[in-house]
Amino acid sequence: MKAVALKLQWFELGLIAAAAIVVAVMPFVLSNYNRSQGATVAVFVIAILGLNVVTGYTGQISIGHGAFMAIGGYTTAILTHNHGWNDIATLPMALVIGFGAGVIVGLPALRFHGAYLALLTFALALAVPQIAKNYSNFTGGTEGLALPTHSGLWLYGLAWATAAVIFVLTWLLLRGRTGRAFRAVRDSEIAAASSGIGLALHKTFAFGVSAAFASVAGSIYVLINNFVNPDVFGLTLSLYILIGAVVGGLGSLWGVVVGAAFVQLLPIGLTSSNAVSSEAVPVVFGAIVIFVMAVMPQGSAVILGGLAGLPNRIRRSHSSYQPPRMEAR
Amino acid sequence: MPVNLRPWIVPALLAGVVIFLLVGSIESALFAQQTVSGLANGGIYASLGLALVLIYRATQVINFAQGAIATFTTYVAWQFMQWGLGYWGAFVVTLFVAFAGGIAIQLVAIRPVERRGNVLTVVIASIGVLIAVEGAVGWIWGPEIRFMPSAFPVRTYHVGGVAFSLQDLGTIGVSIASVVVLWALFQFTKLGLAMRAAALRPNAARLVGVRVSWMLSLGWGLAAVLGAIAGMMAAASPSVLLQPNMMDGVLIYAFAAAVLGGLESPAGAVIGGLAIGAMLNLLSSYVSWVTPQLLLPAAFVVMLIVLLVKPSGLFGRTRVKRV
Amino acid sequence: MIKRARLTLVALAALAVVVASAAVAATAAGTPGVSAKSITIGGTFPLTGPAQLYSVIPKAEAAYFAYVNAHGGVNGRKINFKYYDDAYNPAQTVPLTHKLVEQDHVFADYGSLGTAPTLATRDYLNKAKVPQVLVATGDSYWGAQYKKYPWTIGFQPDYPGESRIYGQFIASKVPQAKIGVLMQDDAYGENYYNGLVKGLGAAKDKIVDVEKYDATQTDVSSQVVKLKASGANVFALFALPTQTITALVVATKVGWHPTTFINNVSASPLFMGLAQQSGANVQGDISATYVYDVWNNPSTATSKLYKSIIAKYDAGANPLDANVLYGVASAWTMVQALKNAGSPPTRAGLMKALTSMNQVNPFLFPGIKMKTSSTERFPIDQQSLEQYKGTGWQPFGRLFSKAR
Repeated sequence: MKAVALKLQWFELGLIAAAAIVVAVMPFVLSNYNRSQGATVAVFVIAILGLNVVTGYTGQISIGHGAFMAIGGYTTAILTHNHGWNDIATLPMALVIGFGAGVIVGLPALRFHGAYLALLTFALALAVPQIAKNYSNFTGGTEGLALPTHSGLWLYGLAWATAAVIFVLTWLLLRGRTGRAFRAVRDSEIAAASSGIGLALHKTFAFGVSAAFASVAGSIYVLINNFVNPDVFGLTLSLYILIGAVVGGLGSLWGVVVGAAFVQLLPIGLTSSNAVSSEAVPVVFGAIVIFVMAVMPQGSAVILGGLAGLPNRIRRSHSSYQPPRMEAR
Repeated sequence: MPVNLRPWIVPALLAGVVIFLLVGSIESALFAQQTVSGLANGGIYASLGLALVLIYRATQVINFAQGAIATFTTYVAWQFMQWGLGYWGAFVVTLFVAFAGGIAIQLVAIRPVERRGNVLTVVIASIGVLIAVEGAVGWIWGPEIRFMPSAFPVRTYHVGGVAFSLQDLGTIGVSIASVVVLWALFQFTKLGLAMRAAALRPNAARLVGVRVSWMLSLGWGLAAVLGAIAGMMAAASPSVLLQPNMMDGVLIYAFAAAVLGGLESPAGAVIGGLAIGAMLNLLSSYVSWVTPQLLLPAAFVVMLIVLLVKPSGLFGRTRVKRV
Repeated sequence: MIKRARLTLVALAALAVVVASAAVAATAAGTPGVSAKSITIGGTFPLTGPAQLYSVIPKAEAAYFAYVNAHGGVNGRKINFKYYDDAYNPAQTVPLTHKLVEQDHVFADYGSLGTAPTLATRDYLNKAKVPQVLVATGDSYWGAQYKKYPWTIGFQPDYPGESRIYGQFIASKVPQAKIGVLMQDDAYGENYYNGLVKGLGAAKDKIVDVEKYDATQTDVSSQVVKLKASGANVFALFALPTQTITALVVATKVGWHPTTFINNVSASPLFMGLAQQSGANVQGDISATYVYDVWNNPSTATSKLYKSIIAKYDAGANPLDANVLYGVASAWTMVQALKNAGSPPTRAGLMKALTSMNQVNPFLFPGIKMKTSSTERFPIDQQSLEQYKGTGWQPFGRLFSKAR
């Protein structure tokens, strides 16, 4: 029995090592353009990890994570553009401010469940870009702020290094006592509370961590595009993070890269290829999303696990995964 | 014996709002005009909000594609008129098309997902429908703004310095009429009862012989019909116009209307919609710090405050938590 | 075992071929995008999303290039126009522009639409010395900041220049004016507003009320009601098409009948027709124009040519849409510039051609001359006022020039 567990771990380690090697080798094969595409995939990896903490592990639905990306993006843009900060130095700042914003949203979110929380976060995604537009003295309004450009290689390195750090942080957070508490809250709040888990504390903390990660993702997103304005953080961004998280597989960390690649590479690939006319791209993309949901409703994590012929553990964690409920309560 | 005040909070609040609007309107013609044109917009939010409430009641799912489906069916109506059908002819045909289309979407996009997935995957599927249907409108009919005739005369009447058109009144009237029909459906017909049972207790409903999956399809079909009505009212209004993204600005306020009303209450959605319409106009004309950009965030804050006080909306029933 | 080794070898070989061919592609050509037979140019446009109204522009441009290609191309080279959908989101514009430059190796970024998307890519393109030409936005940056961004140039008259004409007209012709302004609450609206104030000069205190709306908000009835209550008798409308139509309809509905000025962007006869159908009284409204008047002169040689090009190469487009005409006028300018950019054309040659123009564009308003120099970088600098009568615009008066 012990041997089996060890074997599984070796397999997981092997999988991570293989993925790391691929990610590390890629930039030397890719063109400059594809490097920045690769960097943007890492941005979605970070954002989806963040959403996964709050929706996948504590069961609080958020359709508004683009709002937290906006907070990080504007933190970086304003600090570098108006205050001459170094790019990388803004990332910890985005993390801290994002955490604060997450806690502020997380506190009232304690009162809401399911459909109400979904719709309130949806409104948040629309409201935050409006606020950025309003204070144009700092944010540049609709004309935005232009930032210095970076090479694709630099961006790729920064984005994936950050994604790796966030991945490890998430893993460490979720494997221990906090992770168990999160899952307990998700599976049954009343049961969790009666076994002495602080509901409000854990739920708010999860929201903070989640927003902090999304905020860092927003920072790097802005550095890659070397531009920020409210249109960058439109509703589509929030929807894509959610789609990516579910396609990747909520409640598991394995499918994150697949989900991120799905939402970043597929639409832009369709747009810039001649396979379908530009006007038909949304129709095709929307149809693919529906199809993916129909064939693998648990996301890619299960499929990936199945391919590798292993993680029973992952599957088991899935079968116990209770989706957040949508009912009004 | 202590008097229980709780049931009276909401009616008292509503009465207060109505008195405030009436007194303001008597005091100032500008206030009255802002209220009237705000209520006219509110009628549109209410109509789409109703469709959201219906689908939520029937399937316990928030349909993010509701606005896009409404836009699509409105274009269908426009297309029939281009082909020579009169307004009411096109109107009726469109309702049938919408009904069939709503059922088709449920069968093709939602049911396969629902069977193996969970609520969240269904939400993602509805987002997929949103992206696809909104894209299809631009793809099929192009980006141009089109003219959509109104069901009611656009002639305006002036009463004491306040202008209003039959179109405004008609829009509000249609949303109220829809509520009555819906209420009657759920309250007095076997079908309505079966639909509610299918949504809330699918297994129990199945045991008593309700065809649950058919009820869910029916819910989507009926919601699409309500959406089509909302779309046709909206497109004829000068403040929306018939164009591929016409529901973008409406959907968020329709959601807000539905949430304020308690998500399951048709009457709540209509009152919520009218209240939001009037509130937006009055906020932007009388509260100076609410700049045009801050209008949506301000509406969001108001909604949040109401919900913090009453987490299940103005007309929502508080349900007992299950372990 | 052997099988696997062979597989690895094949994979490595394939990889080597890909890398090598990529290297060859990068070094072979002299000027990117130019071959003996073709010139590749590209741009980004909102083909989907909230600004998709403008998606007719690149199609009309592509139609004109197809027409030129069918008649021998530019100095024997065919124009290959690649355009991508950025949905008006700078986060899409930036990667797609990188793709145009680095992957598609375009000769120039042509006609890309929108102020924010252009600002987002301006640094990159200028650093890479890729021409960013005839951008479809009326901000004054493109003509004014040429010292810092020499590879960027606009096309249409700038917004402040246009509204300055309205200001001058009101100051001299409407002595009793009390002006109410409805403007979009961002740089677009501000540009127009500043131009109006400049044009009014000493008469700027005639502005009695300014109401603003946000671009995401289509309903402007509350603002129009307030403008009416302010007692204004002149209505300056600096808005996007949807909000313009709404404002015109609501004004009529609430019984307000001011002298109305409508900015060019929203004054297409199509939009005016829609406003009329929806119950607005638009008789006597005033706007400015710089494109050829195909509406009143349907049977001139220019109109016939224009309509035949659209009918043949952009079937389904409405030739009476001012945006379609705009696309053809812009594409004509690009073709002329490519002709004068040398053979084979160079990027520096293209910029030289665009900054030494002195020509009459048949698709522009008669009398307008496109004149540029190394320090005068506004290709179109003249406009005519027009007034709405019956079912169309009627140009009147002299050409206003040097509007800034």
